[in-house]
Amino acid sequence: MSRLSMLSTGIKENTKLGRTRRALRRFYAQRYLQLFAILGFVYMVIFSYLPMFGIQIAFKSFKPAMGFFGMFTAPLAPENGFYHFNTFFRDPNFSTVMRNTLLLSLLKLTLSFPVPILFALVINEMRGSFCKRIVQTVSYLPHFISWVIVYGLIFNFFNTSNGVINSLLQMAGMEKIEFLTGREYYYTLAVVSDIWKEMGWWSIIFLAAISGIDQTQYESARVDGASRMRCIRSITLPNISGTIIIVLILSIGSLMAGGMGGSNFDQSYLMGNTVNYTRSVTLPYYIYEMGLTKFRFSYATAIGLFQSLISLFLVFTSNFVSQKLTGHSFF
Amino acid sequence: MASSKSHIRRGTEDRLISLVVGVVMLLVFVATIYPFWYSILLSFNEGTDALRGGIYFWPRKFTMDNYAAVFGIEYVPTAFVVSVSRTLLGTVVAVAFTGLFAFACSHKRLMFRRFYITAMIIIMYFSGGLIPQYMLYKELKLMNTFWVYIIPNLFASFNAIIMMNFFREIPESLEESARLDGANDLRVFFQIILPISKPLFATMALYSGVWHWNAWTDSAFFVTDKNLKTLSNVMITLINQSESAAQTVFGQINQREITYTAMTLRPAAMVICVVPIVIVYPFLQKYFVKGLLIGSLKD
Repeated sequence: MSRLSMLSTGIKENTKLGRTRRALRRFYAQRYLQLFAILGFVYMVIFSYLPMFGIQIAFKSFKPAMGFFGMFTAPLAPENGFYHFNTFFRDPNFSTVMRNTLLLSLLKLTLSFPVPILFALVINEMRGSFCKRIVQTVSYLPHFISWVIVYGLIFNFFNTSNGVINSLLQMAGMEKIEFLTGREYYYTLAVVSDIWKEMGWWSIIFLAAISGIDQTQYESARVDGASRMRCIRSITLPNISGTIIIVLILSIGSLMAGGMGGSNFDQSYLMGNTVNYTRSVTLPYYIYEMGLTKFRFSYATAIGLFQSLISLFLVFTSNFVSQKLTGHSFF
Repeated sequence: MASSKSHIRRGTEDRLISLVVGVVMLLVFVATIYPFWYSILLSFNEGTDALRGGIYFWPRKFTMDNYAAVFGIEYVPTAFVVSVSRTLLGTVVAVAFTGLFAFACSHKRLMFRRFYITAMIIIMYFSGGLIPQYMLYKELKLMNTFWVYIIPNLFASFNAIIMMNFFREIPESLEESARLDGANDLRVFFQIILPISKPLFATMALYSGVWHWNAWTDSAFFVTDKNLKTLSNVMITLINQSESAAQTVFGQINQREITYTAMTLRPAAMVICVVPIVIVYPFLQKYFVKGLLIGSLKD
């Protein structure tokens, strides 16, 4: 065999066998990096992807005793697998759960969402930088405190035996009010505490957007005699509209969970009780209640899937609408 | 004439806005700080004295006993130990695990890089939900063990993205020269990347630490053993403790003829839960604005 033909077979080898060999060599050279990446990937498969496939029990007659892999082998539920979904729609609690979830989420969207924007505008209008820093720093402290503690603070203020508000009412000669068990107070408590906890935190993102605005715009507006209100309306707001839209889409996507703070479950669990149940129960809490206290696993998963589908629908719709109306979109 | 008129108008509007701004800021300040201050002053006040009411700005009968008493309540000392250990261990392993994954994926030369990153992004938006998670932990025998606090929280996509963005900024020449000297990727990570990424790891550790310290749902869902509950979880029962029930629970620690009341023990326990966060708060603050912006706008 001549050297030339040897060379040509070598080239041929290079195209097939050689390529795999080179890939293997490359893989071996970065074996440590691959190890870290594969470890992370295996972890995701076990702790995220396997449970994702477990969602199929929403369409099956699954019993906790069947074990983890029983989720994949359990028999199909009646009514073509839609038994648990239909059970939920027939559930006497269905309208209560849906009403609370939707009303609370809409209240949080219409109040918890614009308040941080207004707060950011107010902070921006503040002149003294020392006071500005103090108030700002203080305002996002509640974000880092757990809902358990926030509930404790609420309890200190609103309980009937020695809460601040009821003590003051009593001093004024008025009747005590059962804030924590009274059905009619739950929505107010939930929305106000949500704003209290997250207002400062979400204002950061809007403040960052405001600080990115070109200052010459304000200067030329002021030369033209524009007032402070006019500057806010015609310069600040239009400049941060992109950020506002993105945060709006994000919060509409997490509407079922309770908006940006995602507080529906924590609030239902902590501030809910047997007396105000008809107002405090929300979808995330109902999933927990059906699943982990009543052990109706397939049923709870079906409700969870129902909730995820609504959220997905909301994200895509709000994204689509905002793209059509304003040109800003998230995807 | 006209111009001076508009000048005056702008002056009054200006002052009005400044007034509104000042009032709003003061209100926000008081509304945020006072609930915490009220808890602090109650926690330093004697229990039965507090029941008489009228304490709003300063402790009336100062005492430190409430804090000692909180640690006398059943399950609080164990819960404190559980919370501290899960925070320390959970933070270290989570930052290391997520950090190594992020380090690997920050290299363009990594094979299957897009695949790994896509896998990571998908799990940010989709999850199996509560029940499949519960079944998994049961299968893995994590139920009712300390490890249910640690292992399921090893990896966080959000933190991985922040870390990847940071590692990508490190000049490649730095790594390249070390590799020419014969160092492998493992050594590069520990001897070059780790030392210059200290602020990043500190930030991630703070995020993760605060999260672990506050976490209470995992303890409520997956742990029934009362000796393994976290402090946040034990707090729930403590907060809901009524005054009469408190007398029977706290009765056993009435040793020096001091009567403890739920009204002052509750805030003392709450203060203990909040103090670690307030301590790390200045450090948290230094970096989190940047982190929040990267996380929300770049992905």
